[in-house]
Amino acid sequence: MSERALAFGLAAALRHWWLPLVWLGLLLLASLGMAELEAGFRWLEPDSREVIYRRTDFLTLLGRHLLVVGVASLLAGLAGVGAAVLVTRPFGRDFLPLVAQLASMGQTFPPVAVLALAVPVLGFGTLPIIVALVLYGLLPIVRNSLAGLQGIDPAVQEAARGMGMSKGQVLRQVELPLAAPVILAGVRTSVTINIATAALGATVGASNLGDPIISGIVNGNTAYIVQGALPIGLLALTADSAFERLLRHLR
Amino acid sequence: MRREVLRPNRVLPLLMLVALAAWLGLEAVSVAPNRIVPGSGFRAHEVVGWTGALAGCLPLLAVAALAWRPTTGRLRLVLALAVLLLMAMPAWLGLAVTRLVDPAQPQARLGLGGAFWVLLFLLLLALIELRARLRLPRLAGWGLLVPVLLAWWLALASWLEPLALLQEYRGRSDQFAAAVGYHLGLVGAAVGASLVIGVALALLMRRHAGLQKAGFGVLNFLQTIPSLALFGLLLAPLAWLAANVGWLAALGVRGIGWAPAFLALVGYSLLPMVRNTFVALEGVDPAVIESARGMGMSPRQVFLQVRLPLALPVMLEGLRITTVQAIGLTAVAALIGAGGLGGFIFQGLGQAAMDLVLLGALPILVMALVADALLGALTERLHPGGTR
Repeated sequence: MSERALAFGLAAALRHWWLPLVWLGLLLLASLGMAELEAGFRWLEPDSREVIYRRTDFLTLLGRHLLVVGVASLLAGLAGVGAAVLVTRPFGRDFLPLVAQLASMGQTFPPVAVLALAVPVLGFGTLPIIVALVLYGLLPIVRNSLAGLQGIDPAVQEAARGMGMSKGQVLRQVELPLAAPVILAGVRTSVTINIATAALGATVGASNLGDPIISGIVNGNTAYIVQGALPIGLLALTADSAFERLLRHLR
Repeated sequence: MRREVLRPNRVLPLLMLVALAAWLGLEAVSVAPNRIVPGSGFRAHEVVGWTGALAGCLPLLAVAALAWRPTTGRLRLVLALAVLLLMAMPAWLGLAVTRLVDPAQPQARLGLGGAFWVLLFLLLLALIELRARLRLPRLAGWGLLVPVLLAWWLALASWLEPLALLQEYRGRSDQFAAAVGYHLGLVGAAVGASLVIGVALALLMRRHAGLQKAGFGVLNFLQTIPSLALFGLLLAPLAWLAANVGWLAALGVRGIGWAPAFLALVGYSLLPMVRNTFVALEGVDPAVIESARGMGMSPRQVFLQVRLPLALPVMLEGLRITTVQAIGLTAVAALIGAGGLGGFIFQGLGQAAMDLVLLGALPILVMALVADALLGALTERLHPGGTR
């Protein structure tokens, strides 16, 4: 019986999550088996001596890419939601107009410019890219968290307070769950942008999936470019479709 | 009448305290004998002595103190102080030049340090805060920047010769003008093309429901592909086309250069354009359409005189998103040889010449902010009911 329930649950999960899983499978396949596609890349780039990017293996590059995006998104998520919660509390309300203005204005900053401006301050390597990604990723999260928290009907909060909930309980059990879909949409935007922007980190000395692309552009080797672009595209599609499912689940 | 008693503004004192810490603790400027040698940093008190540095704290403290008991009059005073401080910054830099830079060394250059940038950022934040508190209209907010920009322009033109940013500019002023023009041209062409295609697509989608799902699917998919990857992926097919189709090659289409950049920009711009146009046209209140029909308007008149004008603000919002996004993406396109201001950024990163990076990044930032402000103001103006 329980086995059947498990199988049923698994089938339901598969039906729900098949799209992100397919993208993930393709991503892993591409990262592991890039060398197997040599014939294809040879056709694309018949004149080059080397058609497979071999300086670092693709799984390592993918891991580094994920690490940078993951750390940056986690920090941006914590800081962004935290800031939005703080400025919507009574004691932080003074800061609300400034933070809201900053979040909407910051959206107009191009990611490249943010990255470029982080380098003079922080030097080359992985640190500036993480800082730039956190800064840039913060903005959609703050904006959406604010919209989510402010969009809650005050009557709902009133009712929760009337039921004897403490302020902390109202925040945790009423406000955050109600705002979750909007907040998550912000996180989705942030992660998608970060996956793309992290690739630019290869130009400031951070090694990740952007490396083959930059190396390909510099050496005029299209095969390298495809080998970088393919996993990044698949990674972006995996993350985006996973968030899409998650959002549908929440609504 | 009761005297106005406002709650203490805690934002401005906090900003000013951080500014104070940065002013005293971080390096304000750096001086390098030439372009290659890394500069040595100087804090404010190492430039003007402790008396001067502490005197510089006074206006910051004054802002904090005045904002603690904010009446409208005091906030106006604070606003004036903040603008004056922003105007004083280039003058202070001029002082640093005379004290630190040896006139016998024409190669010597003055770089801007952490304290300087932090102070600039915090003062601009203070302006935003004050604009909101005093409920100044948008235009007045921008007007405040006019004296500041004038002061900077005057300083740059007359006594800030050794400023590293300016030296990088002097070295390539022709290239700079060309890059700005090229950047704007590419953005304009891509946004223009996506406006035409986007509106046409949105109109088609309203006609054919089947197209709607497929269209949005494709555009969403395109938007998810990272820009660097898309630029890269377009190289191969365009190189092939240029090699095999004569008239395309004659047009200047190459695997690298403007062609892949233009195509990718249009691809990215289509989603916000189509989505906003579609939502805007669909979102018009059916009752309004109904009454327009009832007045005897033809379908054509209903569309041109009722639906389109009502949908215009949301469509413009799409144009704003598209333009700002394209300005940033064009910078990335420099990697595939499309030129523009991104060229300076990547050239600077390659040579570890940070002032060259700034020379590319700052104008891009300014362009994006100006485009955002202009199109935002236009949208507000076109809102039914006029200016708010």
